[in-house]
Amino acid sequence: MSEHHITPLKTYLVIAGALFCLTAITVWVSYFDFGSLNIIIAMGVATFKATLVALFFMHLLWDDKKNLTMFIMSLMFLGIFITITLLDTGFRGGVNPEVEYPINKRAAFYDSLPLTDTHGNPVDEHGTDSHEGDEDHH
Amino acid sequence: MAENQKQNYLTHPKGIMSWLLTLDHKRIGLMYLFGGIIFFFLGGVLALGMRLELAAPGNDFMSNETYNNVYTLHGAIMIFLFIIPAIPGALGNMLLPLMLGAKDVAFPRLNLASFYIYTLGALFVVYTIIAGGVDTGWTFYTPYSTTSTSNVIPMTMGIFIIGFSSILTGLNFIATIHKMRIPGLTWYKLPLFVWALYGTSLVQITATPVIAITMVLLILERLLGIGIFDPALGGDPVLYQHFFWFYSHPAVYIMILPAFGIISEIIPVHSRKKIWGYKFIAFSTLSIAFIGFLVWGHHMFTSGQSVFSQIVFSFITYFVGIPTGVKIFSWILTMYKGQVSFTPPMLYALSFLFLFTIGGLTGIFLGAVALDIHLHDTYFVVAHFHYVMQGGTIIAFLGGLHHWWPKTMGAMYNQTVASICCLGVFLGFNGTFFPQFLLGLRGMPRRYATYDPQYAELHNYSSFWSGILGLSIFIAIMNLLWSLRKSNKLDPGTNPWGAMTLEWTHTSSPPHPHNFEEEPVLEHGPYDYDKVIVEPTFKK
Repeated sequence: MSEHHITPLKTYLVIAGALFCLTAITVWVSYFDFGSLNIIIAMGVATFKATLVALFFMHLLWDDKKNLTMFIMSLMFLGIFITITLLDTGFRGGVNPEVEYPINKRAAFYDSLPLTDTHGNPVDEHGTDSHEGDEDHH
Repeated sequence: MAENQKQNYLTHPKGIMSWLLTLDHKRIGLMYLFGGIIFFFLGGVLALGMRLELAAPGNDFMSNETYNNVYTLHGAIMIFLFIIPAIPGALGNMLLPLMLGAKDVAFPRLNLASFYIYTLGALFVVYTIIAGGVDTGWTFYTPYSTTSTSNVIPMTMGIFIIGFSSILTGLNFIATIHKMRIPGLTWYKLPLFVWALYGTSLVQITATPVIAITMVLLILERLLGIGIFDPALGGDPVLYQHFFWFYSHPAVYIMILPAFGIISEIIPVHSRKKIWGYKFIAFSTLSIAFIGFLVWGHHMFTSGQSVFSQIVFSFITYFVGIPTGVKIFSWILTMYKGQVSFTPPMLYALSFLFLFTIGGLTGIFLGAVALDIHLHDTYFVVAHFHYVMQGGTIIAFLGGLHHWWPKTMGAMYNQTVASICCLGVFLGFNGTFFPQFLLGLRGMPRRYATYDPQYAELHNYSSFWSGILGLSIFIAIMNLLWSLRKSNKLDPGTNPWGAMTLEWTHTSSPPHPHNFEEEPVLEHGPYDYDKVIVEPTFKK
């Protein structure tokens, strides 16, 4: 059996401080619009925080590396799930453009949002856009 | 010593509380077996009810609504309450520590907790039945499941809870396999059933949380109207299918891998020959477990997912055939030039080879997108997965039950009756499900209580043989229970089949409460029939 690692209190406090700082950064960046990078920045900061928790608070840094392997494996499965699901949602218009944007664009939920065509472009209310479905929407 | 031999886990300690609060893996295994058999019976009765309804074209026996409830409950009970927990929960619990030379699993209290969590989940399912059932099909597809007025919430809650039992059992088995082996029992000396349980456990702990999340999201959508799957709320119903099958396809391997493990034990023992391709079988288990995570979209070829992902899923699906083929050929080569004896467990194993191969090969039909679009939601699919789940898993489970029954219960059943029942199961099964391939090819859709009269003949045939199948399984289980009667108890001895693994060579039948009277010493590998002669202790 490997020797049990005792982490000094100082390490915990430093990590806790770092987590608070990162939380502040998350809030701060939310005031800026980076367009499509918004989600990447938010998730990046969150992932970094989760990594700190796993490595230091959950002791994965010092533990038997088998535990770290198991942990990384679970992330790998999450990656598989998300990536392959995106192969569906990202390519739905491949053959039939009508299904490119899922039906939820017509949902009641979107009634308050400006009207768009199936490609997400804004549509004039009185419609030069000839897309059939939008007429039902009115 | 003589006094000690009489002491076994069935009789010591005594009293109902000693069972309900037991930490002994063998007793917990038996309790799982008891629970599993009850639900197997219930699921079986529902199946026979459906076949009765389908014997003639009209609504002769039940309404459409009742039929919807019956097939949903049949599927959900058989899968979540019987097939998934039966082999790991019952046979796995019973045998894993014995095969490793251990006193118990790594976490005995967690093991008991798993059983009670399973029981709690089962109670939710029973409540669902009493409250009027659920009519969505066992897959709970949205958007219907978010709008159906039947008892979707208690049913999915039950499945959510049972999932935790499955995760905890998997965790326990992994820790046990890593930590509880006796000295000298290295990875390549483990019985292949242990490898199978290891692969199953990995899938259980990595996939099961996803079904739990899926069920929670479904419940949240129903209760709070959060739009995740329902398009009316801004959700995506196909996303539900991704979530559901990301668990439920690997779950197919949770069901079939332990069955492969059982077959890998039965065939070398009853052929008295070293297993052919030990490492190939062991690693094919792990590769099936992994590839199983990449193919879920083949259940969704008609769901409206992108054509690109259809192609990817179809392509990856064929890879499953490789490790599965490796196993089938290894088992056949194990029997080649062996001393095959046609004992009841071996008859079940041979039935498995035949039926599972049909199930697997028709899976290749369904993995091809173009063909699947024609066959999707027809009886061809019903026949295919019954050939895999029943012809594969349940047949292997029955084989395993007959193989280890003398060890776990200390009694030998009537082998002639058991063999006749096996024949009845084999014929009944083929008679029931083979016509369904033909029905499916001719376009008969699944999940309907009525049908066009042109399908009547094949349905009639299928219903008739389902009766033979049900009766044969019932008599087979009664035959096992009958062997426990004191008046006709046949002593099988410690090792009736002349097997080589530790549970046969180093324990009494039934085993001692602490498994082994002294720590076992490994003398040979699990299948060294070419090096050591082990005489069977039971002669017919």
